[in-house]
Amino acid sequence: MPVFVENPAQFSKQRLKSELISHSVDLPPADSAKQLYLEVYMKHVGNKNSADFSSDEEEQVQDGNEEEERGEDSDMVDLSSLTDDQLKCKLLQYGVKAGPIVASTRALYERKLHRMMTQHSKHSVNNKDDAGKYSDSEEEESGSEQLGPESVSHTDPSVTPSTEAVTDVLMEMFPDTALTPTGITATKRRSIKGAAGRPVQFKYPETPLSPATLERREIQQRLVPLWVQIAVFLLVAALLYFIYISMEEPLENPFGALLNGLSQEPSSDDLALVPNSQDTHT
Amino acid sequence: MSTTSQKHRDFVAEPMGDKPVTALSGIGDVLGKKLEEQGFDKAFVVLGQFLLLRKDCELFSEWLKDTSGANSRQAASCSQCLAEWCNNFL
Repeated sequence: MPVFVENPAQFSKQRLKSELISHSVDLPPADSAKQLYLEVYMKHVGNKNSADFSSDEEEQVQDGNEEEERGEDSDMVDLSSLTDDQLKCKLLQYGVKAGPIVASTRALYERKLHRMMTQHSKHSVNNKDDAGKYSDSEEEESGSEQLGPESVSHTDPSVTPSTEAVTDVLMEMFPDTALTPTGITATKRRSIKGAAGRPVQFKYPETPLSPATLERREIQQRLVPLWVQIAVFLLVAALLYFIYISMEEPLENPFGALLNGLSQEPSSDDLALVPNSQDTHT
Repeated sequence: MSTTSQKHRDFVAEPMGDKPVTALSGIGDVLGKKLEEQGFDKAFVVLGQFLLLRKDCELFSEWLKDTSGANSRQAASCSQCLAEWCNNFL
């Protein structure tokens, strides 16, 4: 069946680049011309396309991917064209605290940012549907639930400018929240401060627990059964002790004395009876 | 990284002063020469790069691998050595 193949020569440079990235092909140097990108693309990807797609399904899947990649183009800006400050800001967005960006460190940071971006977009592609569920109005109403859509919105071009404003407020409210690469953050529900135009009265304390607290909690979780275990052990020990005592000194046991009393009474009667019977016989 | 080399211990034991780049653990003659060619002739210049990267061992290892062609073990050894030196003397 005929397969529709786009002419790669008509791709933009951005598009070519993202295509190359998606096929995990090493990019040519950042400042090289589009022609070079095109050559690399044809070499690595072009041949594959004609061979790979034999069925409808695969084609559709590929189409979906391409659409998403086009969407990401706005975010996948040419890293080498960023200024040092912009690069630093971008890194901060992904939770990387960059040091001074100078000639000898810039390449490293660029690569790191690129790695973070590809990682991030890979994850956020899966979560894209979720992002749609959060409407703008809902975000404005519930201040506590916004971390999810907020971190997704970095790659989601469909988010409107009004969400951008919300994002800024969020960054203000949670300055220490590191963006997770998955774009999913689990936070406790909190009372809504700063929502509906009320001023933010305080900054939230840090949510992540220190390792020490976590450790303590773990121990506490273990302590409850341990306590029960000890109690049971003591009970059993006490029981065994009583049994031992009652075996060693049966006379001191009030029950033993009672039993003795019971067994002695009939015997004395017998003794009393015996002489009587002897008397009657004689 | 449970064991450290003699070179590591020597380097970490005292201020680096004017030591050559080859005094760093994990940096032998070959790597040292490559670093020198790029201007990193003294251990303190490498330390400078390490500090520029905010003592990030991961990034520094990556940088070392790029600039000198060190392997992962050498890069890790060097960054650990510098990190420890910083702990002691910075």
